Amino acid sequence: MLEVINVSKVYDDGTRALNNVSFTVEDGEFLVLIGLSGSGKSTMLRCINRLIDPTEGRILYNGQDITNADPRELRQIRRQIGMVFQHFNLVKRSSVLRNVLSGRLGYTNTLSSVLGLWSAEDKQKAMENLRLVGIENKANNRADELSGGQQQRVGIARAMMQEPTLMLADEPVASLDPALADSVMRYFEKLNQERGTSVICSLHVLGLARRYATRIIALKAGEVVYNGDPDLIDDVRFREIYGDEAVEHSLR
Amino acid sequence: MAIEPLTPEQVVKKTVKSDEPTKPTPEPTLSAKRLIGLALLLALMTWAYRAAQVEPQLLWENRDKAVPIITDLLTPSLLTRGEETQQVVVRVEAPCETSTGPVVEAGSGAQITLSSNCLNPGDSLTVSGSGLRPDTGGRLYWQHPNAQGRLRDERFRTDANGNFTVDTDIPQLLEDLGGGETELQTILSWESGRLRASDALTETFHAIIETIFLALMATTLGSLIAIPISFLAARNIMPRTPLGNAVYGLTRTALNITRSVEPLILATIFAIWVSFGPFAGVLALSVSTIANIGKLFSEAAESIDDGPLEAIRSTGGNELEVVWFGVVPQIIPPYLSFMIYYWDINVRMSTIIGFVGGGGIGLALSHWINQTQWNNAATAVWAIVIVVFAMDYISAIVRERLI
Repeated sequence: MLEVINVSKVYDDGTRALNNVSFTVEDGEFLVLIGLSGSGKSTMLRCINRLIDPTEGRILYNGQDITNADPRELRQIRRQIGMVFQHFNLVKRSSVLRNVLSGRLGYTNTLSSVLGLWSAEDKQKAMENLRLVGIENKANNRADELSGGQQQRVGIARAMMQEPTLMLADEPVASLDPALADSVMRYFEKLNQERGTSVICSLHVLGLARRYATRIIALKAGEVVYNGDPDLIDDVRFREIYGDEAVEHSLR
Repeated sequence: MAIEPLTPEQVVKKTVKSDEPTKPTPEPTLSAKRLIGLALLLALMTWAYRAAQVEPQLLWENRDKAVPIITDLLTPSLLTRGEETQQVVVRVEAPCETSTGPVVEAGSGAQITLSSNCLNPGDSLTVSGSGLRPDTGGRLYWQHPNAQGRLRDERFRTDANGNFTVDTDIPQLLEDLGGGETELQTILSWESGRLRASDALTETFHAIIETIFLALMATTLGSLIAIPISFLAARNIMPRTPLGNAVYGLTRTALNITRSVEPLILATIFAIWVSFGPFAGVLALSVSTIANIGKLFSEAAESIDDGPLEAIRSTGGNELEVVWFGVVPQIIPPYLSFMIYYWDINVRMSTIIGFVGGGGIGLALSHWINQTQWNNAATAVWAIVIVVFAMDYISAIVRERLI
């Protein structure tokens, strides 16, 4: 469903964040990107929905070239790709429900959404998604009144409003208490297994990656250094990815 | 003052006292720099002292001048009763040649006697009265036909029988005004009737309401104009294209220049342009509000969290939706908070710009100060203090809730 072909990204300050990255994602895969901070995981994810424009290379989504899409086409593609962020990226002062409803913006008419005229169907869907992530009773709270774990669940509910076929997750558990990591990761697993949504998720804890991934891609200094089975990452490979001084903490 | 450069060794010698030779020496080069810095600072302060013509002894020497003003300021005119007066007028020639004896004048049931009917400036004069209202304060005034106002003279108080005697000197001013027939007015006044708000209090009340609304109008007008301007002056909102950069730079510069023009100067200009009154004040404060709040607004817009914008963009929202759902909810609270803060500031400012024709309480205050009616000025001053304090307090509470 997704083909990343020779993608490179050089930032304005000269930083080469991605260097000639290529991989493909099949329908229904749960792909986890691992690597050190600064290895290019976030840039890679953002190139997929073009929150960042790649400098070179092409990305095809179901055969459609994202990299050359005009603004209208880009919006069409973006609304099929949900995204969940490390820092949740909720509008803190808006209500949980409004945050979740904003996931429908790719489908609604601008005027009616600006006026707050959401269809009954959208509202029902928002409540349904909030119920799925277990916080329907918080719908009318301000987003910043919720705990970190709850805010991330709002972020997931928002992305689910898009009814995505692909879900991007940029370090979704990195700013949460480690004890909550599993509870959030399980929603992605559920989405992947029950709805068949493909997931591309970046993580920096290898233990979590091994548990949820069907395949792991490791990035190091913007290049793919591993692409394959989660169980085949042994100590040698681990050092290749994270450097000689790294020690894997058992989180399993 | 000459500054001789010190070598580190010299500095050490100077700083270490001979009675404590074992004291740890400070870092030598640092001390030399500090000494030079200190000397320069001292020279600068000496210069400033002279330039500002500081004469602290005047505070003590002229204390007599301050006492009545401060006393009046501490006793603002608030309540009053109706005032009744009893008045007897004696006409006299001053200056004149020779005295022919005392003058007696009767009126409103009383009688006033002057010790002499011929008055020359500098002469002493005894004024006595009888049949006046007992136990009542009164005052003598000189009213010269060539003068607009009247000259205040001695105060007195009648005894239990309604008599008084007071000695005074003939003021030099009468001769300066060209002589002729002058009135010596003997006026008793006393309060009667029910307590009511004094005229100064009533006028102050109306003027302070005008001030509050003037400031509200200026804040609203200024903020509404400042909102679009603040977007043009926000780095993260303006596109990084040559045009975007030019608009950003020009808006910033225009705001900076406007901000350096004092509202007092703006008010002077607008008072001439649209004539004196609150509207001139509204215009002056609006312009200064745009310049100041525009900068604060643009900084608030620059400090918003980009995360939600990214999230809305990722759902397929267009730029208008990104602004409406991502930017607007983030800037409303700081913008409102700055507006309330500026309302408070504008109330303060409007008291000052009233002096140059901007209307409101400042106009009333300047009027009373010019007429040396310190009791009335005190009413205005206290009203300003109370309103500014209240607005400061309320705006702090409201702003705290917003953020």
